[in-house]
Amino acid sequence: VTDADVRQVAQLERVLGRVLRTGVVGSAVAFAVGLLLAFANIEVSFSAFLLRAGVLVLMATPVLRVVVSMVNYLVIRDWTFVALTTIVLLELGASVAAALLFNERL
Amino acid sequence: MTIVTPGLASVIFAAGAVAGAFGALLGIGGGVFLVPFLTLAVGFPITSAAAISLTTVIATSSSVSAGRTGQHLINLRLGMALEVATAAGSLLGGVTAQILAPSTLERLFGIVSAAVAVIMLSRLQRRNVILDSSVDPGPLGGRYYEEESGTMVVYRVKHLPIGLLASFVAGNVSSLVGIGGGVIKVPALTAWCGVPLRAAAATSAFMIGVTATAGAVIYYGHGQLNVLAAGAAVLGVMAGSSLGIPLSTRTPVRSLKLLMALVLFAVSGLMLVRAAR
Repeated sequence: VTDADVRQVAQLERVLGRVLRTGVVGSAVAFAVGLLLAFANIEVSFSAFLLRAGVLVLMATPVLRVVVSMVNYLVIRDWTFVALTTIVLLELGASVAAALLFNERL
Repeated sequence: MTIVTPGLASVIFAAGAVAGAFGALLGIGGGVFLVPFLTLAVGFPITSAAAISLTTVIATSSSVSAGRTGQHLINLRLGMALEVATAAGSLLGGVTAQILAPSTLERLFGIVSAAVAVIMLSRLQRRNVILDSSVDPGPLGGRYYEEESGTMVVYRVKHLPIGLLASFVAGNVSSLVGIGGGVIKVPALTAWCGVPLRAAAATSAFMIGVTATAGAVIYYGHGQLNVLAAGAAVLGVMAGSSLGIPLSTRTPVRSLKLLMALVLFAVSGLMLVRAAR
């Protein structure tokens, strides 16, 4: 393990941390405002939109985290991990496909 | 259909906060507490409870992991390798949850979690840590600074197939009953794969976001997710896990293991009771 490897891992960790934090804060704000509007009984359709957006941002965050990791491994030419992260993305894609099968309106 | 009033949302928020705090401490995502609460106390159908719980598992994973980056506790490479297995298990579990009556799997889960608790207790004194800090951690191992002992902990990953199998089962059970699955992965990684508890918990917490998403998407697509309840639960879990994170680095490993074993026995009992209904 060289110093460059250690720095590279530390940088990936920082970027992933930023992705996760942004997703968490984004969905929390959407949920908080959505809940307040829903219970105050104002802007009902906008509150429903915000609550759905909160769920979608929440679910998109780990997916984005895998995409960022995959790009990172692509840049450092670590083909084993490019393959592994790609498989994970395909599996997540299959889940979305299954969800669409259960509901075409998604 | 359960109507979510502001009062019920507050109760769900509080339950989420408790679940989130324990989830952060144990790296199990809090679903083990939330699912029985939402089904037994609030009266949600099991599929709705699982869907809500899975969204909180995603939130716990993201917020706990975001707070931990920089400590090198999360083993990114091991996590990404095991995610291949958890996501496959989760995808399969999410689809079968829509088709099967889950009582058989609940019974199986009760037995498995009790067995894991016994393993955990029997290995209370074992650290599974190579204390020689000059040891090569290999392609999947890791190293991190442990505050309580003031030393650099270095470890190699052993028996990867066991880790992959445990991850697949964890992903599957996760989607079927709405828990994070760390309850299966963490003991397997510490008992057989040579990963220290703290690194295993951090890596598991990191992975379960992907695992839970693979399952939650399917429940959401099927219209089983109450977004009001999910919002309240997620906000509660975020508040609770932000309390749990600072505690998790100070709690000694031994009491963490003891606490985890107790949690496992409780979950086992709840699962068996529900399966017998």
